[in-house]
Amino acid sequence: MGREPTQKPNYEILAFVTTNQNRVLSGKQLTLLANDEEEQKTMTQDIAKAMKADVVQLKSKDYLIIRV
Amino acid sequence: MEGQISVADITLIVTAIITGTLARVLTIKEDYRQYPSYPNGYIIHLITGFVAASLGAVAIPALITKNYVAVTFLALAIQQFRDVRKMEKNSLQTLEETEYTYRGAAYIDGIAKTFEARNYFALIVSFVTALTIQLINSEILWLNIVAGSVVGLLVLYFLKRISKGKVVGDIADVKPGKVEVRGSELFVDDIYVANTLGMENASNLFRKEGLAAVIYPREDHFRITLDNFGQRQAILFEATRALGLKRYHFTRKDYKEGRVIITLVPIIPDQDGLIESVKNTPLLESTKKSHAVLQTNIVGSE
Repeated sequence: MGREPTQKPNYEILAFVTTNQNRVLSGKQLTLLANDEEEQKTMTQDIAKAMKADVVQLKSKDYLIIRV
Repeated sequence: MEGQISVADITLIVTAIITGTLARVLTIKEDYRQYPSYPNGYIIHLITGFVAASLGAVAIPALITKNYVAVTFLALAIQQFRDVRKMEKNSLQTLEETEYTYRGAAYIDGIAKTFEARNYFALIVSFVTALTIQLINSEILWLNIVAGSVVGLLVLYFLKRISKGKVVGDIADVKPGKVEVRGSELFVDDIYVANTLGMENASNLFRKEGLAAVIYPREDHFRITLDNFGQRQAILFEATRALGLKRYHFTRKDYKEGRVIITLVPIIPDQDGLIESVKNTPLLESTKKSHAVLQTNIVGSE
C-alpha cells in the first residue's frame, strides 16, 4: 500500500539492474550490470523472486527491486 | 434465618445477572468481519460479560443493606473493562504481522473500545434490571422477573441503537473500477495507482485477476473521513479479509474529485463481495468529524 508523504516511507531498495555502465554507481543497494535486456530481465526476476520483492521499471528501462 | 440471603434477593440478583449476560451474548456477533470467530474468543468475552453483569446485579442489594462502601467495587469494574480493552488491543496488535494487511492502529483502537463499551452494556442492563425488580417489589415473584427482564432488554435495545456506528456505504457510493496495466504502471479508472508491476508476470497477474473498487464520497466534506490513512487501511483490511489476497494490494486517493481506489489481486475473484466488504467497513471513531460544528457562526461564539 502506498504510504503518504506525511508518513515515514518504508521502502527499501534492494537492487538496481541496468545495461548502462555509466549508471553503475556506489550505494547501499546492490547494483548489477547486465550484458543485454534479456539478461537484465532474468536477473531482476530471479532476485525479486528470491527476496519476495517488487519490481519497478524506470523510464530509462533500468529495473529497481524494492521491498515495502 | 438472619444473615442468610432471602429468596427475593436471590431472584433479583440471578435475574439481573442472566439479563446482563444475555445482553453481552446478544452483542457478541460474528458478522461479515468474522471477529471474534474462534471459540476461545467467545468464552473470554462471555465470561467478562458475566462478571460485568454480576457487578451490576449486586449493586442494588448492597445499597439497600446500607453497605455503601461495597458500591466502590464499581470502580473495580471500570478497571476490569479497561483491562478488556487493553487485552483486546494487545491481542490484535500481536496478530498484525500475520494478517494479509495491517488493520492499522486506528481500527484496532476502535475495535478495542467497542469491546470495552459492550461490557458496560452488560453492567448497565443488569443494574437496571435489578433496580426495576426492587422498585416493583411485588409479592408475585414471576411478575418481578418479567418486568425486570423486559426493562433490561429495552435498555439494551436503546443502548445498541445509540452506539451503532456508521459504515462507508452510508457516506459514499462504491462502484467497480476498471483495472488497466500500462507497462509497469497500474491505473484504475484512469487514475494512477502504482508502478511496482515491473515484471511481466506481475503485470499479467494484475491484468487477469486484479479487482478494484472506487469510492465516491456523497458530500465533499466526507472526503475528510475517507481520505484518512487509518480509514483507508481499515477498508483495505476488510477487503483482503473478505476475499483473501493472492498478491499486491494498493489504495490511492484522487485529489481532484476525492475518489478513493482500493485494488488488489484476491484469492476469490468476487467483484460484488469486494464492493460489499468496502461498503460495510465501519467508519472509525478517530476519523469522524462533525460537519455541523464546523459551520460558521455569524452571531459569534460564547
